[in-house]
Amino acid sequence: MPADRELHLGLMFWATGTHQAGWRHPDACADAAYDIELILEVSRTAERAKLDFVFLGDRLACDPSLQHSNPAQISRLEPFAAAAAIAAATTHIGVVVTANPTYSDPYGVARNLASLDHISSGRAAWNLVTGADAAAALNYSRDQHWDTQKRYDWAEETLLIARALWDAGDEPINHRSEYFSIDGPLDLPRPPQGHIVLLNAGTSDQARELGARYADMVFAGPQPTLAKRKEYYADIKSRAAKYGREHHVTVVPGLTPIVAPTTEEAVALHDQLNSLILLDPEVEVSELVRAGGIGEGFKRNLTSASAAFGVELRGNDLDAVVPAETLARVSDDGRRRLAEITRLTRRTADGPDRITYADLVHATPQQLSHVVVGNPEEIADEIQLWFEDGMADGFNIYPAYVPGSVTAFTELVVPELQRRGLFRKDYRGRMLRDHLGLEVPGMR
Amino acid sequence: MRSGAYSSSATTVGYQLSGMDLTGLPSELVATAQAAETAGVDYLVLPDRTAARPDGASPPTALIAAAFLAARTDEIGIVVTAATAYHEPYSLARQVASLDHIGAGRVGWFADSTTDAASDANHRREGHDPARNAAARAQEFVPLVRDLWDSWEDGAFVHEKDTGRFVDPARIHAVDHVGAVLAVRGPLNVIRPPQGQPVVFARAADTPVADHADVLVSGVPQADHAFAVVPFVARDEAVARELHAAAGSPAGDADNAVIVGTPEQVAAQLRHPHVLVRFTTRGQLAAFTELVLPLLDRSAPSGPTLRARFGLPAAPNRFAPTQDKELTGNAR
Repeated sequence: MPADRELHLGLMFWATGTHQAGWRHPDACADAAYDIELILEVSRTAERAKLDFVFLGDRLACDPSLQHSNPAQISRLEPFAAAAAIAAATTHIGVVVTANPTYSDPYGVARNLASLDHISSGRAAWNLVTGADAAAALNYSRDQHWDTQKRYDWAEETLLIARALWDAGDEPINHRSEYFSIDGPLDLPRPPQGHIVLLNAGTSDQARELGARYADMVFAGPQPTLAKRKEYYADIKSRAAKYGREHHVTVVPGLTPIVAPTTEEAVALHDQLNSLILLDPEVEVSELVRAGGIGEGFKRNLTSASAAFGVELRGNDLDAVVPAETLARVSDDGRRRLAEITRLTRRTADGPDRITYADLVHATPQQLSHVVVGNPEEIADEIQLWFEDGMADGFNIYPAYVPGSVTAFTELVVPELQRRGLFRKDYRGRMLRDHLGLEVPGMR
Repeated sequence: MRSGAYSSSATTVGYQLSGMDLTGLPSELVATAQAAETAGVDYLVLPDRTAARPDGASPPTALIAAAFLAARTDEIGIVVTAATAYHEPYSLARQVASLDHIGAGRVGWFADSTTDAASDANHRREGHDPARNAAARAQEFVPLVRDLWDSWEDGAFVHEKDTGRFVDPARIHAVDHVGAVLAVRGPLNVIRPPQGQPVVFARAADTPVADHADVLVSGVPQADHAFAVVPFVARDEAVARELHAAAGSPAGDADNAVIVGTPEQVAAQLRHPHVLVRFTTRGQLAAFTELVLPLLDRSAPSGPTLRARFGLPAAPNRFAPTQDKELTGNAR
């Protein structure tokens, strides 16, 4: 690793908060998805804290039945429009736009990205996704969602066409293939960053390979164990090494910090957020729109918890303490979940603060990203551990609710990271590539 | 315009922009928009170019420019040009709806069904050849986008903290469009725009989309059309003629009238309720804004939205269970 290695931090903007009941928090802005002033203010808050980027996700379908399990995925502002507005309201922070080549044309994607990079003076990034939603096909005059291989082939070719168009100047590219016939050139000069910064997520073989070969930043869903986190990080770096890019690819896992001035307050906030989740025995998992990275097994109720822990839990009061003898009988997987409950809530089977039935319910579904609960030092400790122990080059910060979790992170945790010399106190340049320590690539 | 769509008091002046020193750089674009806003121009029409052209103008996409300007202006309407052959209806519907949210109801879409060989050659991919079915696609496209804008009823985004009801699924509707060219299930993944239906513009001669537009634009003055003009204006008539000659002495056609003369002469030809003025240089725009705009007889807009500037009534939602039948005969 280079000696001057520096932590990178981005803000994952989910208007509902990334906690599934985040929008219900008393201080949350419940309609933040359409409150443009709030979106711009959150972006400026991230910029004042010198974060690398604001990240805008996307879906190409709408499924209202996700309203309890994954409300953020129902609707949002179109990311290019939101990104250009954010660019107008900020001066330094990078803006990441999710764009799915499966349902767009390369020329249109290339010119929107180049336009965003020009208008932001070099702050655009592209989160390339290939789409997990079969429902999107039905919104784009197709009768079926393509298989993974075709989506990745199409995406890779789209990326190469876009880069060729950005590099082409006034010359046509005359790209011909099985999928595309595109003459070019673009009606735009080369973007300030040359190639728009590329992000890619995913743990599939295709995703890892695309990320290692082409991406400037990669991220992945939560890895359940320390060993898996290290495996993912090392795998990306070793795949990247094949292309001479091991120092070029920044690994930024998602991290949900539940932070407050004291540990007790942070645990109370975590409990408060979980208490706002509607427990529904019929919690919907859509057949058409995947639950947005949350995956299957999403139900939060005592029936699901009984299955997850391997003991009968039904019929109990959620706020009641679970008897230690019940907890002693849980499955191996259940024991892993109990350790996770203790890590988050500090409650144990037999200590002064005891695990409740509600804790078991909330420990059942897979989390969207790694959650850490604590005071600013505890959060910074976790970030430092990942950063120094081969698990991350930085983090995509998932705010549990907005705007409160954003300001809590920027006001409490960022100064601590700066005090430790882990994170920048000011931007070194104006382009996202400057924040990432990446040169503008030469013309091909 | 749709018959009866306008209130008689509405008068509008829009600026349609193209050209290097108006749209080429973000700073120029913002300066142009803010100056037009200060001068009381009702709306801007932003270019969207789907192929390189030799003029070197290189504007950002209309989508990016519009969102950027929406964040840097407060009142002026912002209209994006988008060609039906080179966009997907679901994407275009959500982009315009999103812009209308960002711009708080100031946004419109200038629909264009035309194709050209250079743009076609940039957009061929498996499943889509823009040169094929262009007119049929355009005919389906605009009504489909309008359906998608209505797919969320007003108030369907409940976000009620007490009950935990985030949306009301009963008020969110699939559109289930299956046409000869396009198939879109919906619903849109953006809540209903502030205007309900952002204002749709089209050239009067653009048959496949004109039937579905709110505002028709033509170079021949007609009572219910927006009159599109390219002005060459100077205080001295001879100078105005020199400007016109220096530009190659362009002639008017069905889409644009060319008007040459002193400010008074130009203003006299613009005694029309709705005028769309086309500019390619900063000099033309500045001269018109300074010399002609103050001479036009204009009334204050009846509200902050672009629809209000055109006197268009609130748009009923086609999916809402009860509709005011009095309103449905007017603009969609």
